[in-house]
Amino acid sequence: MDGELGRIFELERERERIVRTVVEREAARKMAAPGLLELILNDAAFFEIARLEDSGSSELARWRSLYRRLGRMDEEQRRAELLGLLERYAGDVVGNFRPGVYRFATRVVPVGLSLLMRPQLNLDRLLNLSTVRERILVQGEIPLVRQLARRGTLILAPTHLSNLDSIVIGWSLLSNDLPPFTYGAGKNLFFNPLISFFMHNLGAYKVDRRLKFTLYKDVLKAYSQVLLEEGYHSLFFPGGTRSRSGAVENKLKLGLLGTGIAAAIANPERPIFVVPCTLNYHLVLEAETLIDDYLKEQGTSRYIIEDDESSRLSRVLAYARKSLALDASMVIHYGAPMDLWGNRVDPQGVSFDDRGRPVDTRRYLMVGDRLEASPQRDAEYVVELGAKLAAAFHRNTVALSTHLVAYALFSYLRRQRPEVDLYAFVRMPPAEPLALVTVMQESERVRNALLQLADRGRILLGSQVRKGPVEAIVAGALRYFGMYHKRPVMVREGDGIRINDMKLLLYYHNRLADFDLERVLARDLVAALPASTSPLRAASASLDPGFAATPDGVRTARVAGGYADRQPEAGSSEASNSTGGPR
Amino acid sequence: MRVGVVGGGSWGTALAQLLADNGNDVLFWMRHGEAAEAINRTRHNPRYLPEVELGPGVQATTELARIGSECRVVLMVVPSHGLRAVARELGDQLDGGHVLIHGVKGIEPVTYKRMTQILREETCCRKIGVLSGPNLAKEVALRQPSAAVIASHFDEVVQTGRELLWSSSFRVYGSSDVVGVEFAGAVKNVMAIAAGLAQGLGFGMNTMALLVTRGLAEIARLGMAEGARLESFQGLAGIGDLMATCFSPLSRNHRVGERLASGQTLDEIVRSMDQVAEGIKTTRTVHELASELGVYMPITAGVHRILFEAVSPREVLADLMDITRYVYEFAP
Repeated sequence: MDGELGRIFELERERERIVRTVVEREAARKMAAPGLLELILNDAAFFEIARLEDSGSSELARWRSLYRRLGRMDEEQRRAELLGLLERYAGDVVGNFRPGVYRFATRVVPVGLSLLMRPQLNLDRLLNLSTVRERILVQGEIPLVRQLARRGTLILAPTHLSNLDSIVIGWSLLSNDLPPFTYGAGKNLFFNPLISFFMHNLGAYKVDRRLKFTLYKDVLKAYSQVLLEEGYHSLFFPGGTRSRSGAVENKLKLGLLGTGIAAAIANPERPIFVVPCTLNYHLVLEAETLIDDYLKEQGTSRYIIEDDESSRLSRVLAYARKSLALDASMVIHYGAPMDLWGNRVDPQGVSFDDRGRPVDTRRYLMVGDRLEASPQRDAEYVVELGAKLAAAFHRNTVALSTHLVAYALFSYLRRQRPEVDLYAFVRMPPAEPLALVTVMQESERVRNALLQLADRGRILLGSQVRKGPVEAIVAGALRYFGMYHKRPVMVREGDGIRINDMKLLLYYHNRLADFDLERVLARDLVAALPASTSPLRAASASLDPGFAATPDGVRTARVAGGYADRQPEAGSSEASNSTGGPR
Repeated sequence: MRVGVVGGGSWGTALAQLLADNGNDVLFWMRHGEAAEAINRTRHNPRYLPEVELGPGVQATTELARIGSECRVVLMVVPSHGLRAVARELGDQLDGGHVLIHGVKGIEPVTYKRMTQILREETCCRKIGVLSGPNLAKEVALRQPSAAVIASHFDEVVQTGRELLWSSSFRVYGSSDVVGVEFAGAVKNVMAIAAGLAQGLGFGMNTMALLVTRGLAEIARLGMAEGARLESFQGLAGIGDLMATCFSPLSRNHRVGERLASGQTLDEIVRSMDQVAEGIKTTRTVHELASELGVYMPITAGVHRILFEAVSPREVLADLMDITRYVYEFAP
């Protein structure tokens, strides 16, 4: 059975060889051009000295010495230095997988999860997975993913919100007979010895995000490529880091994704499939820290956060007990798998273009009549794949009650005070509770817009959001919002709802901020106008550019995706993430 | 190398000649069997640019399947409304290695898709590019010095196109701004109608320069709202193409404008033309897209009123000249 589940069961035996392959390949590549070595070593020394400058670490002296000697070293010495570094970093990165630990974890983790969620001991429920199953819904293209796991190598690409993501993904794989995946985990996660033990032996490899120099990044990529071409299913978070704003990822980090193309060229016999996957939480463990970090200084937010809620065991336990106490408190959705060019894939692993014709993917990689890497071409393939993935993330997002109500109320409040800048705005929760009738009205409008989007296949809806009525959705959201966060995001107060925490309201609102909801809502408003006003609208639209910013009532919003449909470079997504307002 | 040219109109004919001049083996697809047969027999396209002699390297065909299976590079030059259907049919023979370059200036109504997006949807190809610029087919065919731009995200496409088309009378520049080059090429057809109108109304060069300059500004505004780069509008595909279309009486769109100015109705004009004036449909599409995006395009709105809202050219002109009383513009 283990063999069925994938190459990862051979990792323990193969890891030495994999490290050697990585070192040899990178050494060969870096020694290919004369003079390159000096640049590479210089780059490494420069970044490491800058990083360690104030640390007083013994490493620092070593790098400084290298930096000084570099100019005088001959090619032979540089090679020795390079080999030493490659071996060191490849050895540091490499992960392991011990089937024994895996089998132990597969028995213990579900029990542990059930325990967390239902602290009163109930052995009947512990012995099957049903408790967790009711809490964490796993849905989507699971049978297809399972079949493709046998036909080729999978890249699982989930959205990223929380440090719990990898644990719940692990659980979803396990409980659905999907194979375990190898994945890169931030080195900071390895500091806890217990977690480190499990991660280390369950296929995780170490990524030290403090190391910025090319040589290290190349080792990571080479490692990832070797794993993919040898058939190890791999998990990447293409968002790179947890979404700070709470929004669905729009800008993806393409580096590791690009190793898929290189692997496909190196081993054309084994196709690679990309599986987009969304994690949809009613409540997010680290929401408070993440949105704080997002608001602190957009763009300079910390890439690595070491002191958030996920590092405090009591918060994790509280989260698991409280937030995950309700049925369907999170939904994991596996989207339709695609090939490296974003083509749909069938259970046999055959790719199909948008018109349903089979595609021979090797043709994408040919130069003349040979498979060959071509850096510019391959980089462009990855950019297009990134756009396809971002679109798939949106399509497969599941809107839940907390998102809907937060979106409705935040955008309502924002419309009342559009002149206040966002940073000031989130610091002043409304003095009075919002009238219940307003809350219901606004939530109903957003729900209607979501239903329209869902009809067009642009988003998915959680069962409560789909079923309604809006009273039940609002009640559900209130229950969640009162459950785990230090202060309830909002509470019922008399005939109204008091907003306590605008930042968290923004955070949960942001999950739906990138779906053109405002456009759909505005269209409903315009459609509701009496017909006699429309010539007026047309006339003023042609004269007054300001008016035209209100979307025209006639057109349907354009569907995202397709060639060159990527976002303009300048952070338009940033803007819509933060305010959700129309451009 | 064997190159496919899909579309037997004037631009297709001029490109086939250009490719053959450069020593390429050209497979020239067109729908009309008689035209294809005539080309293979007489070396002249009887319908378009009949004066141009096509060298022995050009072979005409009506079998679209041959294009995909025999050519690794295909130039698509069919009218914009026909591109989707032709691409879908051609797509049966295409694979991921094919290079597709189109020379079609238009935007799909309703969906607002650019031509490269249509090619991307209808085929499995990724190596897709656009050829655009001030290229009045007749002048290119007469080997008058001309130049064009090929834009693609793939260097290989740009490189391939340049090598195939570059000649002593035709320069080819490269770009990666696909959106900019496509928008510039499509929207300038609207300005061409406006230029024809201005000329038909008897105005001189001041008016024409006003039109070209402010027209370019609004084209660039729209393109940039969709992610284009400003430089593209300053180049051959932008101002270059706009000048050629606005100043040349050879342009079909220009003629539409002139005839509108003389009092003919759109229906009469369309019925009497044998080739498509892309600008008519483009005006509607661009006007709708601009209102949806909130992009200010007064000249386009004016042409739209004349074409589709039965407003007289004089009235629109009066409004346009009056417009700055209400809206303050920063003139770039």
